[in-house]
Order: sequence, then structure tokens, then C-alpha cells
Amino acid sequence: MGMGALGLANLLSTLGGVETARAENYVSPLLPKAPPFPGKAKRVIHIFANGGPSHVDTFDPKPSLEKYAGKLLPVENLATERKTGAAFPSPFKFKKYGQSGIEVSELFSHVAESIDDICVIRSMTADVPNHEPSLMLMNCGDARSIRPSMGSWVTYGLGSQNQNLPGFIAMCPGGYPIQESQNWQAGFLPGAYQGTYIDTAHTRIEELIQNIKNDYVSLPAQRQELDLLQKLNERHMANRRDDAQLEARIQSFELAYRMQMDASDAFDISNEPEHIRKMYGDGTQARQLLITRRLVERGVRFVQVWHGAGQPWDSHDDIQVNHGNLGREADQAIGALLKDLKQRGMLDDTLVIWGGEFGRTPTVELPKPGSNAGKINGRDHNHHGFSMWLAGGGARGGYVHGATDEFGFAAVEKKVHVHDLHATILRLLGFDHEKLTFRHSGRDFRLTDVYGRVVPELIA
Amino acid sequence: VNAWRGLGFGLAVCLLAGVNSVAAGDDSAGTEFFESKIRPILVDNCYPCHSHQSPKIKGGLLLDSRDGVLKGGDTGPAVKPGDLAHSLLIKAVRYTDDELRMPPKNKRLAAYQIANLEAWVKMGAPGGDTNVQSFRIDDRSHWAFQPIRVPVVPAVRNKKLAQTPVDNFILARLEAAKLKPSPRADKRTLIRRATFDLIGLPPTPREVAAFMADKSPDAFARVVDGLLASTRYGERWGRYWLDVARYADTRGYVFGDDRHYAYSYTYRDYVIRAFNEDLPYNQFIEQQIAADLLPSGSDKRSLAALGYLTLGRRFDKNNNDIIDDRIDVVCRGIMGLTVGCARCHDHKFDPIPSRDYYSLYGVFDSSMEPDPEPLLGIEAPPKAREEYLAEHKKRVEARDKFREEKERAMAAQLRSQSGDYLLAAFEAQRSANQPDMDVMAHNRNLDPDVLRRWITALKGWRKSQQAIFAPWFGFAALAEKDFPARARELAAKYRANPNWPVALNPLVAGEFAGAAPATMKEVAERYDTLFTEVDQRWQQALADANSPAPAALSDAAHEALRQILYAADAPANVPRNDFDRLYDIPTVQKLQELQRQIDELDATSPGAPIRAMALTDRPDPHNAHIFIRGNSDNPGPEVPRQFLQVLSGPGRKPFQNGSGRLDLAEAIASRDNPLTARVLINRVWLHHFGSALVATPSDFGTRSEPPTHPELLDYLAARFMDEGWSIKKLHRWIMLSSAYQQSSDDNPASAKVDPNNRLLWRMNRQRLDFEAMRDTLLAVSGELDLTPGGHAVDITDPSSRRRTVYGYVDRQNLPDLFRTFDFASPDTSSPRRFYTSVPQQALYLMNSPFVINQAKSFAGRICLMSDTADEARIELLYQLAFQRDPSREEIEWARQFVRGPAAPSPSRDAWQKYAQVLLMSNELVFVD
Repeated sequence: MGMGALGLANLLSTLGGVETARAENYVSPLLPKAPPFPGKAKRVIHIFANGGPSHVDTFDPKPSLEKYAGKLLPVENLATERKTGAAFPSPFKFKKYGQSGIEVSELFSHVAESIDDICVIRSMTADVPNHEPSLMLMNCGDARSIRPSMGSWVTYGLGSQNQNLPGFIAMCPGGYPIQESQNWQAGFLPGAYQGTYIDTAHTRIEELIQNIKNDYVSLPAQRQELDLLQKLNERHMANRRDDAQLEARIQSFELAYRMQMDASDAFDISNEPEHIRKMYGDGTQARQLLITRRLVERGVRFVQVWHGAGQPWDSHDDIQVNHGNLGREADQAIGALLKDLKQRGMLDDTLVIWGGEFGRTPTVELPKPGSNAGKINGRDHNHHGFSMWLAGGGARGGYVHGATDEFGFAAVEKKVHVHDLHATILRLLGFDHEKLTFRHSGRDFRLTDVYGRVVPELIA
Repeated sequence: VNAWRGLGFGLAVCLLAGVNSVAAGDDSAGTEFFESKIRPILVDNCYPCHSHQSPKIKGGLLLDSRDGVLKGGDTGPAVKPGDLAHSLLIKAVRYTDDELRMPPKNKRLAAYQIANLEAWVKMGAPGGDTNVQSFRIDDRSHWAFQPIRVPVVPAVRNKKLAQTPVDNFILARLEAAKLKPSPRADKRTLIRRATFDLIGLPPTPREVAAFMADKSPDAFARVVDGLLASTRYGERWGRYWLDVARYADTRGYVFGDDRHYAYSYTYRDYVIRAFNEDLPYNQFIEQQIAADLLPSGSDKRSLAALGYLTLGRRFDKNNNDIIDDRIDVVCRGIMGLTVGCARCHDHKFDPIPSRDYYSLYGVFDSSMEPDPEPLLGIEAPPKAREEYLAEHKKRVEARDKFREEKERAMAAQLRSQSGDYLLAAFEAQRSANQPDMDVMAHNRNLDPDVLRRWITALKGWRKSQQAIFAPWFGFAALAEKDFPARARELAAKYRANPNWPVALNPLVAGEFAGAAPATMKEVAERYDTLFTEVDQRWQQALADANSPAPAALSDAAHEALRQILYAADAPANVPRNDFDRLYDIPTVQKLQELQRQIDELDATSPGAPIRAMALTDRPDPHNAHIFIRGNSDNPGPEVPRQFLQVLSGPGRKPFQNGSGRLDLAEAIASRDNPLTARVLINRVWLHHFGSALVATPSDFGTRSEPPTHPELLDYLAARFMDEGWSIKKLHRWIMLSSAYQQSSDDNPASAKVDPNNRLLWRMNRQRLDFEAMRDTLLAVSGELDLTPGGHAVDITDPSSRRRTVYGYVDRQNLPDLFRTFDFASPDTSSPRRFYTSVPQQALYLMNSPFVINQAKSFAGRICLMSDTADEARIELLYQLAFQRDPSREEIEWARQFVRGPAAPSPSRDAWQKYAQVLLMSNELVFVD
């Protein structure tokens, strides 16, 4: 068993029932825990470009597509969700950035300014070209069965550094992504490890976090209530000193009281200086990424930031217009986040992950009655090869890992399956992915199931 | 979005079991290396041809056991431990020998895999099962597989404490460990304990007072009996069973369709009724697996029991996953056996071969859900029923009207494109390089399937409709390169003789009487003109006609052309299901929405017919094939539908009746099954004591911890079965024991010896679970609505006052409130609840409108009192909340709080805040 296993075993016996709830045994499920190995990354920000961002339009330039523009590729198109036709060169311009000279398209020119801190993986692969199973695979490591999400595993393994805020927060403006709250499910782990969903289309704190405000009682009056509560609880506990559950529940009220202030503060970006807000820009993405920085700064362990409800990056048509808009919405804010983390010295131990559930085809999607309105200017889903990137938290900056084929249809060099990415992320956090396990239904489960290998080249 | 169409690929999941925590044996590092690095390679690459489950074993080599590896195949041992040079396996995977290359067909292993295999051989090839299975499938040496025998009740020194035989077993172990049981709890504690325990609510002050005053020796027994007779009992204990049954009111993720299970509540109500009526547990089990096959007479209500099988998650309709869920809920939920682990390979620890999994698979695959679901014979109230019928009719009409309009419009559109389809059909047929018809159709804004219908129709018309299509086929036969010249020649022939080559439809003849067409496109356009004109005439005729509508156009030539568009098999008359495919997204969504409104009405209307989520046998029951490695695309041998080997003994026979579900139910609920009663006893014990005899209530396999009191478990199990499988009797045997009635106070000396209280030297203090907590808030505030049963209600609504067991459980997006308070996951059978303390729980109690409502009502109860003295009011609140009087100190604190430094009399508002403090207190939610 790994070094952290003792702490986990202890925690689990606690969760298992009251029989071990003696004072010396009780551990709050979210108390910070050390990983078995020293991990460079202490916290994770997962920016989820849901819908499937096109790699050949963002981080994987394919000049060969120009040669065949409008013509069939010399190789057969791989099977994806729908039929695709001729080669479709990117309408976006690529440019070299940084010392590393890595090429990035104009969609992410702000992000590209930090390219020397970014590890671009151009050889990602998933299993199927459909949103639902691919989202489940990317988030939970299994396309079909009920499994805890990566954020749940990480908070289960590491706890959280701030007990006044949820340890794992999932933000998505305007509603849920496809597959909904399953994306941040705790599965068979205790509910405390479930991602707390926040609809960042809202701006008022009471709409962001349930029960965070009391319209009826002022804070000072509530303080008086809690003071009396603690007196009553203390009296009740007088001859029950051995029972740590009582103390844990008492503490939870104090934490909750402070959470009301701390959470309000964490989500209030008007506290940020003008130049920082300017740096992130306007709009929802800017707001939620700035909130993200404030949350991780306060010790939240895992923040997942979704672009929007449904599947915004799913540009089956009009990719130039749609990806153009999406890039404009996200690029400046993500770029600002990286720079902001760096200037605060936080990028070293904050792992930022960017990507979707898969990429898109280098060939044009053929129209389908009732869905494309006859347009032939978009791309289909593509799980054979796509790009993601990691930054900070011990990831190897200024490095491109792996490659897709000449046209960007499939990963061919140094393929990284989603399981491998998970294994590597856990390694960056200080875990052996084979040993971060939870016993359920007669066996030990893990994020990577029976798969996954750490990709050492991704680690600085 | 395209819903993911259940791909049949396999799962290699369960292999992971034990990688991390195999009991440390002689070579646990070696075993771990084998399990994590080597076995997966063998399974993926070698087992298809070299395991006992391979359809054909190649070269006589079996690599699924250590013996097999060492013995090797026809060419000798696969591995010589420690000796790379003489291990054929290594030679084969290195691909250096032209004769021996494995895996074959150039599917060579990755370098790191080869390196791992080499490292493994060098280590001496540790790990792996010695036999083909790590167990003998008839191995019953494990305690849980041993028959249940009535053990001798042990003698104890402290005979006074031995109130029931339960005490003898508990005391015997305590005495052996030189531990003293704790003294009996005081009476107030006892009645609170028993009441929360059995009905999940606090006792009323009056009930407490009556018990305190009752000095008779059986006073407590009568309290227990009264609670067992309360219909609140089924709501508490039924809910425990719903955890096992992974109960929910929705089917999980689906895109677009309605997610409600319209009738899952009938299962919930069935469970509650079964507990209240003390339905013998063996019958309870049989009904949940095979109620449809049991004689029920005129009372059909037990059909609802089948919800146990059917109300799981639907995994986007993937049949394999649905059956897996059913196997799991039956085997783990009822027998504590993790049979699901044998989906991809033999169970690694328990004697459950993959064959057994697929024996059960065959049973469930031979069962189906009837449509519509059977009625339960429970009448909805007449008024509600009328309202439902009226509304249902309205919604069905709305859907049908919309659908018909859209069908008409779509058919008209298809007819108006006749010329385009004609031309496309021609070009699709002519083109030498056969362009992709789908692509071509897309490019012309046509539908490929409708185009195929045109092509097929034209083939028929070549014979049957010469009068109309002779010119079409004539022009179509002309060579492309000098079409204009040839067309002129042909047109001249038509002009010269309208009866050549057949008597042409005069309208068609007229169309080709003038100048010759220059292209096939032009020919198609001429036909299109004809069709358009005829269609306009027809529409006009329909519009002009008084009823009845005309059946045909009066002019024969027109009518013949109309038939091309309107005949039953006309290309534009696509089948109804195809119309759905042709609609644009807004239309599809609107149709889904209209259907959803019907489904939703069925699911929520109190007047909707009450049905069971039943199961029935298929007319063609069949055996399943093993799916090698769980992969449905890789079927192995067929296995009969039969019970698990380890529980069957040597005389196992295939199931005889239909799907075999009834045989399965009888085998599970049999007196001879060593697991069913033990598992149930353990679950009941867990809820009474907060700790279980077997720590893993849904896993009694070889890796579970043995029971703390094995003889007690067997004693209760045997007696339980002998005395009619009555759960209510079981409660009495347990609750009337001294062990149950002990104080929960600490005893540092005992704690030193047995810190986790495994031997039960005291009662465990228990925290209320989510349902009991919320129900208690409502009970104390006086707001609890005790209406039983029926459709689920939204308990996240702050004004909801029903018991929590009636709350709507959306398994896809379970509300935070449920998660926050550690509600059982509704996705798989849940053995026990977690108990965490997180600030979100406190926030709910501090700030949620629901709790504030309860505080208001709770405080409101004192305003009805005639005695307005502070002390009297505080006493009432204490009695309601804690069933005791406040201490002097507590009264003083309360007075200070409600009066503040100066207030002459406390405000209502102050009382409300005070009431909320009591509702938040530890004393309210912890039961001694």
C-alpha cells in the first residue's frame, strides 16, 4: 500500500460506520492529506472545452490539408460519428510562439504567450466518437459504468486545504453540460467528494451556492444562535467525550459560519484590482476563470471549469464562425489565468489542464438532413487523435508530445490514451494510479481501472 | 447529439480486484507484479487462444493457470522460472524466431510489455492461480458457504443479563475477553432508541411519559410491539431495503426522452407494505424476482415487487449492462455475493466461474418487460381518474395532430421534389463510378432513403407504367456523349406516333410533343411539371369537394399520374418511422416534447392507471453464451440457465420452467441456501446496532472479514427460517436482549481492550440518517404530513411536509441535499450509508428555507399555550425535541437568549431563533 494508504484506511473505517468513531479515529473526509509521493501539483484546474475543440484549428497545425483542400485525402477517412468528405484546411492562421517555437493558431494567441509553460499533447486518443461515453471516459475513466470522477478521486486522496469551501467545484455557466452532473459524480465514494456544481451564469452569491445566505437572520444574530448552540452541544458532549462524531458536527457549524463569509468573498471578483480584471477581460469565461483563481488561491483542491451548457465546442457547421467565437470568449481569460498564476508563484504547484472530450476531423462533415441545414463547413467528432495541454504543476513546459498523422486524423506517435493522461495527472499529484483505490462491491476500484501508464515525458 | 448506441465492446474491469490488497502471502510483491503487470498482458493477448474459456485451445497450451504455464503446450514448457533462454513464452514474444511468434499476425507486444514478461520470468514467474481457477467451484470451506446449523446456545456466568439467547452469544464473548457489558440504559433513552430505530421518528412526550409510568416487567416489550404495529415502521425499514434495491424514480441519462419511471413508486409502496405486513422474507424475495410467475389470485399488487429488477439505471438501453445491474442487485443485494465480478473472467476470490454469471444472464435475457405494464388493480380516486383521462386524451390528440400535420407537409414536400428525385435516381444508376449515393443526396438536399425508394419504384414502373415512363426510360437509355442528337431522333418518333412504343398517357405525350429535350435534366423537369400540375389539381379537388372527399381525379390521364405520387407504395409515402428521420431538429424536439408530456402525465398524475414495473418470461427462453472477457462480440460456449454451482451441490440441474426466474427465486429463498438468511440477519443487525456482525453487508465472499459472532449469526438465521422468516420476530429477539438495551456511555477500561466495540460491551451511539433527520425536524415542528404512499414528491421544495421516503429520487442529478447528507447512491445496490460531517450540512440547518419554516412552526407551538411563563415554554420545546426537561442551566441560557439584555418579554422572532438552535443541536440527531 502507498504511504497515504494508512490515512485513507483510517478515513474509510470512519466512514464505514459508527463503530470506529472514537475521538482518536475520526477524520473529516476533506481534511488535507499528504500523497504517498511528493507531488509537484497541489491543486488542479481542469478547463473543459466541452463539445470537442478541433485540434487542427488550435494546437496541431496541418499544412498538408491545404494541398488537398476540397479534395479527398489520399487515405481513407476514418470512421467517426457521421460521414465526412474532403480535406478541410484550417481557416485559422498558426504562428510559432516562445522560445520553444511551438505553433498555435490565432484562436489561442493569448494562451500561446505562455507556451513555454505548456506541455502540448498532440497524440491523445479516446475510444468512441460520441459525446456521452467520451465525457464519461475523460472525467471518470469509464465510458459506461458508474465511477467516481477525477476530481472526486483527487479530493478523496488529498482532501482539501480550505475547510470553509467545497474541496471540488465544477462550474458551468447556464446549465449542465451533456451527461450532466455525472461528469463530477462521486459514484460510490462518499457524497463529500462529489463536485459542487455552480452555475456561473449567476453572479449573486446566494444563487451560486445553496444555503449560503440567510435572509431572515443577520450574521451577528446568527453568531448568537451558534454561540448558544455550542453551549448546548458542549453540555451534551460532557459525558460523551469519547465520541468524535459529536465534535466533528460541532466543528461543521463553525466551518459553515465562516464559509458564508469566505465563499462570498471567493466568488466576488469586484474585490480584484482593475488591472487584473482587465487582464482576464469581459464575459462569463473571464469571470469564472478569475473566480477559479480566487478559489485555488484559497485552497480549493480541484476546480473544473466548463465552457458552457450543452456542448459549445461541437462545431459540426460553421467552424470558422463558431470556433472563432469560442476562441474569442475563452482565449484571453485562459491566457490571463496562466499569467496570473505565474506572477503569483502559483503555477509551479497548480496543474492546469485544457481540452475537450475529443477533437474533430480534418475532413469536412457532410450534411445530414435535419441537422446541418445543408452546410458543409464544419468538422465531425474525432477520437482517433486530438490535442490537450497541461501547464504548471510539474508538467513539462515548452514541449510537444506525440503527433497525429500528416493530416491530423489519428494519433500515430507516442499515443496517449485518456487512461494514460489520468495516470500521469495522478503522478503529478503524488499518487501511483494503481494504488489510489477504493473498495466497493467486493473489489478495489481506481480511476484508471485496469489500464493506464504514466507518460514520463510529460513530467518536467 | 447522437445517443451512444451501446457498443458491444468488452470490459476488462474486474481484474483489478485485489491488485492492491491481496493478503500478504509468501510472495505478495511477486503476486502484485503478476496481477498488475503480467496478467493483463496474458488476458489481452494470449487468453483468446490459450485459456479454458477459449473457443479453441491452440497448441495444447493453457496460460490461465500457473500449472498451465509451467507445463506448457505441445512444444514444451512456456516458462522455466528464472531461465529466459529456455522459456518459450519469452522466445515467442520477442519475435526473433521465425517459427514461433506470438501473439500471431504481427500483433507483437510493446517493448515495455516484453520487458515486464522478462522481468517476471527472471523473478521466478511468481503469482497466478495454481489451478485454472483460484478456487474449486464446489469449494464450500468458506464459512459463508457452509450450511446454517443451529448452534448450541452458550452458557454464561451472568445469567440475569441473558434475557434472550442473543445475550448468551454476546455475553460469552465478552466474558471470555473479561469485559463487562454496560448497565441498562435509562427508560427515556430506551424509548427514544427504540422509536427512532423502528419508525425513524422521535417518541411524543406523552408516549415517553406513559412508558416512564409503566412499571410492569414487559413495559419495553409492549413499546416495541406498538412500534412494530405502526405503519410508520414500514416507511423506516422499507427505506433500508430501498438502499439495497438502488431505488430511484428515473432511468438515468437519456437524451430527449422522458426520464421518469412512471411506476417506480408502486415498488416503493410495495416494499413499505411488505414490511408493515411482515411478509415472510422468503416470499418477499421470491416476489421480487418472480412475482409474475407466482400464484397470486385476484390480488395483483405483488407484481409491483418486480421493480426490484427493473428500476435500475438503463445505461442508454444497453442490454448487457441492464442485465449486469439485475444480476448484481439480486446476488449482492440478497446473497452478499459479488457475482458481477465474474462478467469478464472467473471470480478471482470466490468460487464463481464466469459460466455461472452467464447462466444467470440467460435467465434475465429470457425475461422481458411487458408493454404496457400490467395494472395492479388499485383504483385511482374517480375524480382524479377523470381528470387524468381528459388530460391524457388532450395530450395524445395534441401529439397526433402535430404529427399528422408534419407528415402531410413532409409528404407534400417530397412530392414537390419528384423531378429532383427522378434525375438523381437516373444519375445514381447511370454513373459508372457509382458515386456515393448518400453524398449525392446530401449535395442535392435530398434524402438518401427516399432516393432509394425512387430507384426501387422506377424498377417496377419500367414494366407497370410504360404509358407514363416510356419516354423517361427511352431518353435515359441514350448515350450521354451525343445525347442532344439522339434525343432529337427519339423525340421525333414520339411526335410521329403517340402510340409508340406503347399507348402513352396523353399528358405525357403532350409534354414530349414539342422540341426535343437537350439533357436528362430537362426530361426530369418535364415530368416534374406534369406531377406539379396534377398535384395542384388534386389539392384543388380536395378543397372544392364537399364531403365525402373524392377518391380519385375524374380525368383518367390525370388520375394515372396522380397514382405515381399518391399510391400506397409511392416513393413519397414513406413509412411513419421514416418521417421522424426526415424532420428538422425543431420538429423532432417538438414531437419529443409532446410525447414527454404524455409520459410525464402518466408518471405524475394521481389519476393515472397504477401499474407495476413488471417482468415476464419471453416466449422463447434461451441459454446465453459466455462472453469472453465480457465482450459480447466474442461469444464462447453456451451455458445452461441454472443456479450458482457453489450453492447448488453436485446434483445441479438446469432450470426447468420458462426463463428460469422462478427456479432462481426458489433457489435463492430456499432454506438450504446458506447466504440469504445470514445476509438479511446481518443487515437488520447493522441498523439496530450501527455496526454489523459481518463488516461488509453486501460481500460475504472469501475476502470479507469473518463475522464477529458467527454462532449468533447462525442461531438467528436458523431460528428466523424455522419460525417463518418473520422480520418483526427478529426485531423482537434483538431488541428485547440486554445487549440492545445497554447504555451507550463510554467505559475507558473496556475501550482499551476493544476500542471499536466489536464485542458490544456497550450500545453504539447512532446518528440519524438523512430521512430520519428531516422527518424528525418535521415531527418536532408539528408539520409532518403522514399521508402514506403514492407518487413521489419534491422534498427539496421548502414547503414539502411529507416523509422523506416519499421524496423524488432523480438518479441522474440527485439534488445536492441528498448527497450532502450521505443518501445512498441510487446507482448500485448500497450496503450501508456513509456518515460524514461537512459544513454544507450545517448550512442547510442554518439557512435553508425549509429548516427556517420548521423553526417557525416549532416556536409557534408554544404560542398556543395558556401558560406564558418562559420556563413552561422552554420545557415544552425540550419535551418535544428531546423528550426531557431542561436543566436549570439550560433554562437560564434560553431566557438570556430570548430576552437579550433588556427585553421585557421575548418576541416571537426570538423564540423562533431559539427553536432553530434546538433543531440544530447534536442532541436532536444523535441517539444514545
